Amino acid sequence: MQRLCLAAVTFCAPAMADTSYPLKAHEAPDFALHAIAGGNVRLSEHRGDVVILSFWGSRCTPCREQLEALNRTLATYRSAGLQVYGINVDDDQTRALAYAHGESVTFPLLLDPEKSVSRSYQVDNLPMTLLIDRNGVVRNVIRDYNAKSEELFLQQLRALLNE
Amino acid sequence: MQYVLSFMKAWSRLLLLCAFLSVPAASFAQAATKPKATAPAAAPAPAAVAPAADAPPSTEAAPAADAATAEAAPSAPDAASPPPDTRGLDQEVQGLKKDVVDLNRELFVLEEELLFPANTQVAVFVSMDVGDFFALDSVTLKIDQKEVINYLYTPREVEALLKGGVHRLYLGNLKVGKHELVAFFSGKGPNDRDYKRGATLKFEKGIGAKYLELKINDRQRKQQPEFEVKDWE
Repeated sequence: MQRLCLAAVTFCAPAMADTSYPLKAHEAPDFALHAIAGGNVRLSEHRGDVVILSFWGSRCTPCREQLEALNRTLATYRSAGLQVYGINVDDDQTRALAYAHGESVTFPLLLDPEKSVSRSYQVDNLPMTLLIDRNGVVRNVIRDYNAKSEELFLQQLRALLNE
Repeated sequence: MQYVLSFMKAWSRLLLLCAFLSVPAASFAQAATKPKATAPAAAPAPAAVAPAADAPPSTEAAPAADAATAEAAPSAPDAASPPPDTRGLDQEVQGLKKDVVDLNRELFVLEEELLFPANTQVAVFVSMDVGDFFALDSVTLKIDQKEVINYLYTPREVEALLKGGVHRLYLGNLKVGKHELVAFFSGKGPNDRDYKRGATLKFEKGIGAKYLELKINDRQRKQQPEFEVKDWE
């Protein structure tokens, strides 16, 4: 009985935390953005892959930590069909460019200078990370990054990759 | 008005089909589960009744028959009843699915006819040939000095254009009369330099639909890309 209660709390707690996000369980809005490394990226071209979108700012320290963690995650799960995109929301793009050229993040960092994508995804916190399943549906959102949330995030990611 | 009526008719047909689809699906599920649940009860009945009829009526006969049914129940269906044939039902479901897809297509066409009627419709397409001197990144389209679309092309889309694909960049409505179209192409030009060029076309919109094509060609003599707007008559 105790195990049952523990399992219920474990599974229900993140769900309760995310109920405020209106896009959860809805189709992720499509977008096309310029990548810092060159070229453009369109979300709808990645149907069939699990996609992680991480909204970040160059002044936000947890954002950088999370980008590094996502880089490690991508290295592990890339072969299972994982795609990661970092979407920069800075007004001043030069800081983002400096960060992108200085760090060894292997996934594309995208620029959203007009904030159109940030607005459509209703970004209200940095870092904010979205998990999108293979059908293009937003399955989960993580608004704060720490070791505990990362563990939970990895569990959810593994479950999505196994679907 | 005619479009609206046909649109509504198509919708009601789609809803009816969906309702029909849900019924066979339910019956299919029942058919799949039925043999396990009902056949064991039906099959052992004669075996259980026969000894009870031959034997003199007594109070012990009934429990004996019950015991016989209980023993015979698990083994009887495997041997006696053949697996149910669901091929017909499956074909019916497939046929209904095809009808739904056809109706959906019909709805899409009707929706387009309703939103972009032929007398006001204007469509702009993008095509690309060779692409040695220009790597397309984006196209910004202005009609009558108003920006109507800014489209970013991904490498996959550019590849599709280079293979001969034609992309419908814009579909909208314009009233009859004279109009001006300006298209800005940006990307990488010769020697991998940033390249931005424009192309303009003044055209007259008649009663019918208007189709315009933005063509990107390579001009070998000048070693430069060439941008042209073609009016499909």
